[in-house]
Amino acid sequence: MNARPLMRLRLTVAATEEIGLTPRGHLTIFPITGGSFEGERLRGIVLGGADWVTAAADGTFELDLRLTLETDDGALIHMTFAGMRDDANHYFRTLPRFETAVPKYSFLNRLLAVGIGDRRREGPVHTIEEIL
Amino acid sequence: MNTRLLMTLRVTVATPQSIGAVPHGTRRTVPIAGGDFEGPRLRGSVLPGASADWLLLRADGVLELDLRATLRTDDGGLIAMRSFGLRHGPPDVIEALARGEAVDPAAYYFRTTPRFETAHPAYAFLNHLIAVASGDRRNEGPIYTIHELL
Repeated sequence: MNARPLMRLRLTVAATEEIGLTPRGHLTIFPITGGSFEGERLRGIVLGGADWVTAAADGTFELDLRLTLETDDGALIHMTFAGMRDDANHYFRTLPRFETAVPKYSFLNRLLAVGIGDRRREGPVHTIEEIL
Repeated sequence: MNTRLLMTLRVTVATPQSIGAVPHGTRRTVPIAGGDFEGPRLRGSVLPGASADWLLLRADGVLELDLRATLRTDDGGLIAMRSFGLRHGPPDVIEALARGEAVDPAAYYFRTTPRFETAHPAYAFLNHLIAVASGDRRNEGPIYTIHELL
């Protein structure tokens, strides 16, 4: 499969909200307070959102993220991803999707993407590539 | 993006059900009559009972695909597969596809993101992987080349 860089997304997270053990697993919500993103075709800041993380019985984590991005020229972009984090195997991959009403960025509505996540002290960093 | 081949999945489609204009676009459901899959680590067939692709043609001309299928491996493992995808291309190419003509899949964008669930220990690795697929839309049904994202 061919891909090309879309953006690097850096997130800052607030204190987690521990929902606890639910029928689907242990749910932890990570509020996202801000961050930034940068790529050849778009850059800007993260307005906010959250990641709903469910720990499965086999020790892996299912991620379910929603965010609002604002480009440096004022466009709002709705972003979601589903993801898988398997710390035992150092595997942290996501499937971002985007929705926007701004014509300049409508290419985002038409693409599928993959992300490689990296857990850092200051917050997660996602390197996102467009699937060509 | 590093990937490795997971499988080639061929499905055969039954008569589509045209739901028509709905609030988010034009909806069509395509039942899957069967098929097969083969890769280095697994192979088997597609069960027809609960397999279909729920299609939504959006106002911007992009077709959203929402496929669910049950796979059965040659050693009896059942795998639930779900895959979201997008298909779009130049109008003349999409019209040729609609007429049932053979079209080079490089002429349009047809990509999906399969996820798998299984209880079978031999295939538990499928529960933990993210995959991407490129599709080749054929008259008898699409062929998906599915790669695991490493």
